[in-house]
Amino acid sequence: MILTPEVLAILIINTTLAFFAFIAFILSVKIYLNWDLESSSTLQYKLEKQSYLTATIIKYIFIVKVPLFLFFIFTLDKISNILIGAMCGAGVVDATEYGTYLFVLKIINLYIFAYWLALNSEDIKHENQPYTKQKFGMFIIFFLFFMVEVILEGVMFSAIDVKEMVDCCGTIYSTSSSTYIADILKLSPYIIVGIFYTNFLLIILFYFLKRKYIFSFLNLIFIITSLISLIAFFGTYIYQLPTHHCPFCFLQKDYDYVGYIIYIFLFVGTFFGMITGFVETSLEELKKRYNISLVFNTFYVLLVTSYVVVFFIKNGVWL
Amino acid sequence: MIELKDINKIYEINKNHKVEALKKVNLTIKEGELIVLKGASGSGKSTILSLIAGLSKPTSGEVIVDSKQISKLLDNFSSVYRRDNIGFIFQKYNLIPTLSVKENIALPLVPLNPTTKELEQKLDKVMDMFHILHKKDMIVKNLSGGEQQRVAIARSYVNNPKIIIADEPTANLDKKLSLKFIEILKELKSLGKTIIVATHDPLFYGLEFVDREIEVHNGSLVL
Amino acid sequence: MRNKINIYLIEYAINSILRQKYKAIFITTVFTLLIFLLTAVFFITNSLRYELDSTVDSLPEITIQNIKAGRECDIDVDMVDDILGIAGVNDAVARVWGYYYFKNGGVNLSLVGVDEYEKQYKKSFSNIVEKFDLNSKTPSMVLGSGVEKIFKDSYYDEYFNFIKPDGTLKKVYIAGVFDGATELESNDMIVMSKELLRYIFNIDDDKATDIVVKVANPKEVSMVASKIRLMFPNTRVITKQDLKISYQNIFDYKSGVFLALFIVGLFTFFIIIYDKASGLSSEEKREIGILKAIGWKVDDVLKEKFYEAFIISFFSYIVGVSLAVGYVYIFQAPLLKNIFIGYSDLKVSFELPFIFDIQTLVLVFLLTIPIYVGATIIPSWRVATLDADEVIR
Repeated sequence: MILTPEVLAILIINTTLAFFAFIAFILSVKIYLNWDLESSSTLQYKLEKQSYLTATIIKYIFIVKVPLFLFFIFTLDKISNILIGAMCGAGVVDATEYGTYLFVLKIINLYIFAYWLALNSEDIKHENQPYTKQKFGMFIIFFLFFMVEVILEGVMFSAIDVKEMVDCCGTIYSTSSSTYIADILKLSPYIIVGIFYTNFLLIILFYFLKRKYIFSFLNLIFIITSLISLIAFFGTYIYQLPTHHCPFCFLQKDYDYVGYIIYIFLFVGTFFGMITGFVETSLEELKKRYNISLVFNTFYVLLVTSYVVVFFIKNGVWL
Repeated sequence: MIELKDINKIYEINKNHKVEALKKVNLTIKEGELIVLKGASGSGKSTILSLIAGLSKPTSGEVIVDSKQISKLLDNFSSVYRRDNIGFIFQKYNLIPTLSVKENIALPLVPLNPTTKELEQKLDKVMDMFHILHKKDMIVKNLSGGEQQRVAIARSYVNNPKIIIADEPTANLDKKLSLKFIEILKELKSLGKTIIVATHDPLFYGLEFVDREIEVHNGSLVL
Repeated sequence: MRNKINIYLIEYAINSILRQKYKAIFITTVFTLLIFLLTAVFFITNSLRYELDSTVDSLPEITIQNIKAGRECDIDVDMVDDILGIAGVNDAVARVWGYYYFKNGGVNLSLVGVDEYEKQYKKSFSNIVEKFDLNSKTPSMVLGSGVEKIFKDSYYDEYFNFIKPDGTLKKVYIAGVFDGATELESNDMIVMSKELLRYIFNIDDDKATDIVVKVANPKEVSMVASKIRLMFPNTRVITKQDLKISYQNIFDYKSGVFLALFIVGLFTFFIIIYDKASGLSSEEKREIGILKAIGWKVDDVLKEKFYEAFIISFFSYIVGVSLAVGYVYIFQAPLLKNIFIGYSDLKVSFELPFIFDIQTLVLVFLLTIPIYVGATIIPSWRVATLDADEVIR
């Protein structure tokens, strides 16, 4: 069991968030079952009031979750100093069987909470609040996702054994390991990078064509192609080492914490890209989303490409 | 245009004590009309005012303002409706005593986050209109009754509403100030505002610029 | 989320806080106190850990003590040769040292013996051997700067009389003063020749206090340690890593106790805030009613309440952290420091080094402000959803 002050802080905050999420859950169930805008009963009146509370709680959870996630990554990094064999967060994630699932789940939860907020913000713009039942019904499911994350996080931290050796990211993300990561890395980098840039160009194309469902879908895929190309190709240029594929190491100080910027660009860009298709909205709002998505995605592409280009300019060769 | 259709309003003080404030009230007010609601306290005049302002919802019936059903609006939207359309002058003024004149008048605009220039313009215009510009930085609780009322009127007018509602506006004023208030009402009417005043002050009765006097008695309109 | 920050709303929030002076002062004081305590504890443990890490780092990789009947006793010097024969061992030195209780000064001094012809296992000792001549005819010693002061206070300016185990006195002259690598070193250490020390403590020539071993490759330390244990089963073999871990555990234990108390405090605080925020005076309720009557949405009221909560908590955070910095680094944390050091007999004072640690600040921020804001959610909501109708009645 690993109980540094950082881990304890995370667990305390998680407990607080879970407490509030539970309240929001109960209210969401009540609202989902009984909401009737036409009714002038006392119950409906109460539900209206409670819908404000639920929305506020979910906003609060999201606002806390974002810096908490960054703090989580940072804590993983710190723990890696105590675990034998780990050189960065990747080793800590890999130390237990829950690590990878927890990490992926956390990212998914960030997306779905942000989605809920977008849906909510759209909903309250209309007098008949058309998405109310829908959004609260969805929250019932999101709550479960969130609770799984909280419990998993507690389990993971208690399962980390300081005395056990863990793999370093060098082994996890190498072509010689037997995981699916290795299979991906075995693919030719030209193909991976090719798909990545094609994806991006398609995004630009459909930005101008303003086909929102396709744009949305392309952004969803972009998450995957970006991550894969980052691990397989762009990462190596950030580290200037053809064998260093780890997606965690460049979050560290040695690389000017550039990892945080890379991931934030990617998250914001793809998120706004995806909600163009998932949340109906006014034309003006839609334009804003398209723009934000394009800008952030472009920044992302420029940033990762710059590492490659700078390397080439400095050294005259590719890795 | 304001319409009250088959309005019933019942207040539940507790399980055993219900008060029927309004019974089957039907009322239509045309745009630009100045209506005086007469009647003793407890007759239901204030309830009619709060229904029109969207501050409360009828137990049954509809309140329609400019073809919009405001009786079923959700809290947030009812606030927006009030902000954009209604200027309410309360009997007790309901100013925030520790804020200045300027700050009190600016309150309805605060959530809109206007630019400083915009805000100053609106404030100066309305303070000038109701003759309290010279006291704009004074703390409200240090003002006289008449001055406070002018602040209340200014605040109700700062968003340029279509409908002005006044609840017993002269209850705390002497005759001189009451007449001054009536002058202001006349001016507002000439600007095309729809005005509804609830009062049992006889100064308001028989005025020639008042379009209608409606008597409210025991929750019903006396026709 | 994407709107410009509403300055007027912030101004109104500040004004609103100031309008309820007493409540605001109460909450701010309690919260500041909480943050102050938490930050101070973190600062102290960080600094202590840094001090200790530096001290431990300068220790030899392996220390061997002779155990007889479960207690430490003198070790044979010729073990050194056997140990030097183990693969991976760079060097092995027999140390002669001990504690001397100086009654008048009320301190336990560390007496360390050096042999100027031997390779010193610590850099500070080699410096001393270079600078001072400890083998001159007159028995002499070198004092740590802290010790010099302690002796001076008891009027021992040029020499000191050690009391041997048999009761006789040994006069030793003060040859000079040194500054140790860390505070802890300077404050309680005296260096003299091994011969002299053996004389004072009555230790035989072929015995030593313990043996320290230098291993070139840190990864091989545990292997060498186990080999030594096999060779000399009567000994206690301590590695540097063991020391680090045991210190870490003590720290974590004490920090853990403190954090447990803190959680209780935080929980209580949550309840207090909730209660305070819920207890609305009729004045406050009226104000919110007025706001809603003139067109403020529920969301606007909630936003304003959030600004209030954030302003109070952030202000408390800044004040609490600043106070902690002052308390720990300027006043050297009276009272709290002793809980963590626990050196009861050693009245040694040393300065906590100033460590600027962003992680601690972020940690305290995340532990306190979200909790405060969270405690205000439900009370703020209750206020914001009040019926405006009641205002005009």
